[in-house]
Amino acid sequence: MSGFFGFDAALPERRPGQGGGDSTRQQFSGFQASNADETFALSGAGEEEDLAVYTWGEGMGGGLLEGGDELNDETFGDVGEINNDFQFSSQPAQQPAKPSYTQSSGRGPIASTQSRYKPKPVADPFAFSEDDFYSSRPSTKKPVANKAPSRPKAQTGHSGSVENLWNKPAAPSPAWGTAPSSLTKPTPPPASYSSYPSQSSGPPGHIKTLEEIEAEMSQLDVTGPSAQTLPSQPKVLSLEEVEKQMMESLEPPRQPTPQQFAALPREATPSTVPGLPGSGYANQQALLDSMFPELGKAALPLQHPGSFPPGAEGIPPPAGPSPEEIARMEAIHKRISAKIESMAQHNNLMGSSDKDFITRIQLSQLATADPYTSDFYAQVFSALKRSRMAAEGQGDGPTVVPVAAGLGLGVGGPVGNRFGKMGSNTMQKLSTQVKKLVENRAQHQKVMNTAALQGALGRVTRGNAAAPRPVLAIPTSNKPEHRAASHLNEQTGIHRAALTRKQIMFALEELYDAVLELEQMRREAPPPTAMQEIEVWHARCQTKVDIIWRRLMVMEPLDVSNPHPFIALINPVKGQRLFPRLLRHLPHNQSITMLSLLIATYPQLDVVARAPPPPVADASLLTKADRLDRAKREAETDNFLHCIIPGVDMIINRCGLGLVAGMLAISAQRSEVWKVAATRPGVALYTALLSKAQSLIRAPAPDPMNPQQNQSPDPAEVEQWTKTFTYFLHVLLPHLPELFPSSVAQKAAFGPGAYLLGGDAIGEREAVEMERREAEVWGFAAALAVNAAEEEQTTLVAALREKILHTVQAARNPATGPIRSEIKLRNVNMFLNGLGLDAAMIE
Amino acid sequence: MDDATTAGISEPLDLVKLSLGERVFIKLRGDRTVTGVLHAYDAHMNVVLSQVEETIHFVDVTEDGQPLPPRAERRNVEMLFVRGDGVILISPAQQ
Repeated sequence: MSGFFGFDAALPERRPGQGGGDSTRQQFSGFQASNADETFALSGAGEEEDLAVYTWGEGMGGGLLEGGDELNDETFGDVGEINNDFQFSSQPAQQPAKPSYTQSSGRGPIASTQSRYKPKPVADPFAFSEDDFYSSRPSTKKPVANKAPSRPKAQTGHSGSVENLWNKPAAPSPAWGTAPSSLTKPTPPPASYSSYPSQSSGPPGHIKTLEEIEAEMSQLDVTGPSAQTLPSQPKVLSLEEVEKQMMESLEPPRQPTPQQFAALPREATPSTVPGLPGSGYANQQALLDSMFPELGKAALPLQHPGSFPPGAEGIPPPAGPSPEEIARMEAIHKRISAKIESMAQHNNLMGSSDKDFITRIQLSQLATADPYTSDFYAQVFSALKRSRMAAEGQGDGPTVVPVAAGLGLGVGGPVGNRFGKMGSNTMQKLSTQVKKLVENRAQHQKVMNTAALQGALGRVTRGNAAAPRPVLAIPTSNKPEHRAASHLNEQTGIHRAALTRKQIMFALEELYDAVLELEQMRREAPPPTAMQEIEVWHARCQTKVDIIWRRLMVMEPLDVSNPHPFIALINPVKGQRLFPRLLRHLPHNQSITMLSLLIATYPQLDVVARAPPPPVADASLLTKADRLDRAKREAETDNFLHCIIPGVDMIINRCGLGLVAGMLAISAQRSEVWKVAATRPGVALYTALLSKAQSLIRAPAPDPMNPQQNQSPDPAEVEQWTKTFTYFLHVLLPHLPELFPSSVAQKAAFGPGAYLLGGDAIGEREAVEMERREAEVWGFAAALAVNAAEEEQTTLVAALREKILHTVQAARNPATGPIRSEIKLRNVNMFLNGLGLDAAMIE
Repeated sequence: MDDATTAGISEPLDLVKLSLGERVFIKLRGDRTVTGVLHAYDAHMNVVLSQVEETIHFVDVTEDGQPLPPRAERRNVEMLFVRGDGVILISPAQQ
């Protein structure tokens, strides 16, 4: 630090660190010392390290760390090199001694001690550029630092006193100069730590000049405190070199040093403080000498507890560890490696506990709060499968394995089958295991329940075993309902724009969600014995139904828009599919209301307003978009007939004659009947209405199951029906022949197609399909005929006369395929039989 | 109305949900497009379609480097699973 780099910039930075506290200083010195070592070894490699030192010094200034000195070597090593170049050039010899000092002080023994004792004062006097820096600030800081640090120095004081002594004899003036530098450039810290203990005996050894001093020390020690010192000291003289070796060997045990620090400083401080002020060599020596006895007595014992054990022991241990410990270590190592080897046999293999663990993880992931919906398809599949198995006489098991309150595992099939050999015992074990896991997780989740925020910061966290990412996120929070209809109801204006496609789709998704929830709720019916729960359950279901009902927007004013919101909802195929599922949950009156609305707004239906156009003879005349459009319309119509008409039939079948008459009246008044009837959905609707009315009027044989419906219809209702039907037929009659698909097709055809259409130009398949559709209309005509009074029947036949003749002739035409001719005859007979006639009667 | 329809949409895929059961147009990597009825999708935009028409677009180049007018090859598939990493866009099919 202080070295080349330091002069101007580095030093100032250091100063703050030094100023910060003694500990920093010590560390400073410490790393300087280490630097010194490195510098010794590596004189050239300083520059890069300098930078590192910089930061380090700053960091040190920021926070003083007494602990964690073990790493000082690494950090300090970098710094030291520079310093070394600077100072050590002049004083290579002293350094060896210094290391011991640094060691003695522990962290920054030499440097710190020197700095504390001499440097601080000394630094100022010495005119090294670095020193100047140090002196200027350190001096100011040192007082503060000294006061507190002085204690640690006190430790050094014992050693330091010795050190000082050494320094003085070895290179008095240079030492001073070095002292500041030594702060920055003490010898390797590790050595210092270990050396410290040895120091008492060892440091003197380093500096030969101090041998005498050491002798004194040893004597003092002997007289004074520790027996440990005694052995070491006698050796000291002879063992100086040995001690050096010891120092090196002892370096590793740094841990003792902190203890030394803690223990020594306090006691030592007083003695050191006096020593410090005495910056002069002679003064210091005198002081030290005088101090020594005290230090020797007081400090040495202090040192011994902390530092000595390592040191004293260290001397013998270096030899000891190698033979004994090595053997022991080898034995241990052998044992360990043997163990590892034996275990390695099973590497990459899963034990049963491992499998268990993984199974539990997997199961815990499967457990869900809502086994029905989160495993919906498996449930449906299992329902189908079980019904099949039930038919085969096999018992059915539960579809859900309850794991904990409100949690369960969805099971796709009957339990016995699904888990085959595992049997119910295993399932029980599993469920208890999972139960534990789930409970465990529930506890954790309280803390970790941040799933709602997942991805909020752009990073989607992967789940872990403790908090698996929910595969199916079921929204738990109840969002407020967002519905177009609620706004509609608030509006006074009756007319408004039709729902946009997006709104429709959105409403449909909401409806699906609601229906799914409702269906789930129905499945969770409480046991029939729990009356209260059943009531609650009913109430919940009812609220859900109400929600769905509102979302259906059936109660919107009839003319609110075109199409009506409800119609808009069942225009897409998706909505049509939803219809039968909805119908199951709606009470009778609501379904009647819905049917009324449907009939009143029937012309707004896509399948009616945009009924698929009649087929053309040559499909190649159509553009691609045309073809797609036709296909789409056909698909929608088919779907409508498949999904909605059965529901409509069902509702109509529950209606009384008055209602049926009313509905027919609504349709006749509100729409152009013939246009509606020209479409397949229209035909289906009217046919259903007419046949229901007829069956009601004819009062079929009394049904024991349903006595009330056996009553012959109310004459008023019959009269109303008759009037309505008469009007209906009157409106419809002129257009009756045009209702037939074949007629429409012929009308629409042009060019050669017009002639080809009735013939073989159309493929057989299309022809048969055409006949099937004709059948629908013939059925409708038959329903008309059945309902019609006698004179009406006459007009009816008259209106259809040509159609009948044409069809019968075509059926008898040998060119017509047998299948088609048969269908044609059957179609005509369907109508004629209603009148008591038969195609065979036609010439 | 607009508030009402957008309020329930919290992530982009919520919009795809609206097209469930509807015919969608999907653009794929490799100059392919697909239209079909959307049956299922997931977060990876893996998609299950039915009544699929797949179109592959080519631009042939003559020997001297002149591009010929683009042409397309089509095929129809009853049911198709489309892996999500090829999906570029999903949109409702034009009505």
